[in-house]
Amino acid sequence: MLAFGLLSLKNQGVRTVLGDCMTVVGDRKLIFRLGGMGFLLDLSEVVEVVTQITDSLDPGRSDIGQGIVSALQFRQTWIPVVDPALKLDVESTVKMRDKTAVILRGTEGNWALLVDQVDKLMAADNFQSCAIPSLLKVAAMGFYSQIQLLHNEPMIVFEPERYYGSAVVSV
Amino acid sequence: MIRFGLFRIGGFGFAVTLEQIKKILQNSTDYSLPHLPGAVAAVLVDGGELVPLLDLSLLAGAESQLSNITQGYRVLVKSEYGIVALPADLSGKIVAEQKCELSATNEQKMNFGIIGKFIYQSEEYSLLDINFLALEMTQDIWQNQFDTGGARRHK
Repeated sequence: MLAFGLLSLKNQGVRTVLGDCMTVVGDRKLIFRLGGMGFLLDLSEVVEVVTQITDSLDPGRSDIGQGIVSALQFRQTWIPVVDPALKLDVESTVKMRDKTAVILRGTEGNWALLVDQVDKLMAADNFQSCAIPSLLKVAAMGFYSQIQLLHNEPMIVFEPERYYGSAVVSV
Repeated sequence: MIRFGLFRIGGFGFAVTLEQIKKILQNSTDYSLPHLPGAVAAVLVDGGELVPLLDLSLLAGAESQLSNITQGYRVLVKSEYGIVALPADLSGKIVAEQKCELSATNEQKMNFGIIGKFIYQSEEYSLLDINFLALEMTQDIWQNQFDTGGARRHK
């Protein structure tokens, strides 16, 4: 399902596997789905994609006020797990234990982003910029500011800083 | 000669002038986006641009009937504020003004976003105030207006 060998990355970490081509990492986008909607994320912000999270989750360590729904054991430490569907008010049919965690590099440590599924990696030049119509700018405000088209499908440019702050949260 | 596009969605007939119609798409793909206003059912992509799809079936009643329409047109209409798409079933037609009976609408009884009524072949079509609807249905104030039963005019 995952293109560009991303499946092979899941146990090794994106940075490690892409070590030979780090110069182009920033030119690639990771595409993920949430409630059927497409999102893209700059690959340079991604540490690893973890597809089996059931045994590594501790939902008891949550801080809903900060958008943290659980903690995830990752590389011998617990990191906060953020479910963007809550803030985006997106209905997802995928249960938490079946979701995929995209581990992101934060200013003060890693954190996990819960997504329904990771689709693929794509080179940035596959995307076409697309302005948000003025009639929808108010609706988008606070949630996203850019959309790009991939094969004529709108992809929301995911901005991690909108979902998890820079402050370290003890979980 | 003025011509009108006459369309129906969920039992609600509506009319727009031909010069307001940019394009009519069939079987286009609708996409959802987070936090779309309640009266915007989806967006579609035309010529590399996003176009909000207004749920016109709300004009006919409180419940959306868009999900009941499995096949249909998307009528792309120009407004002062940008292009908007209107959903319609496949019964759309274009007719000359003189073939319709235009009923002068009493402004006091006029429905929200409707500036006149047409009768064509015994069926009624509401002439839409596109500028008004484009603005109010996309700014998430539609539901409030709907609740008032609003008889307002867009200036």
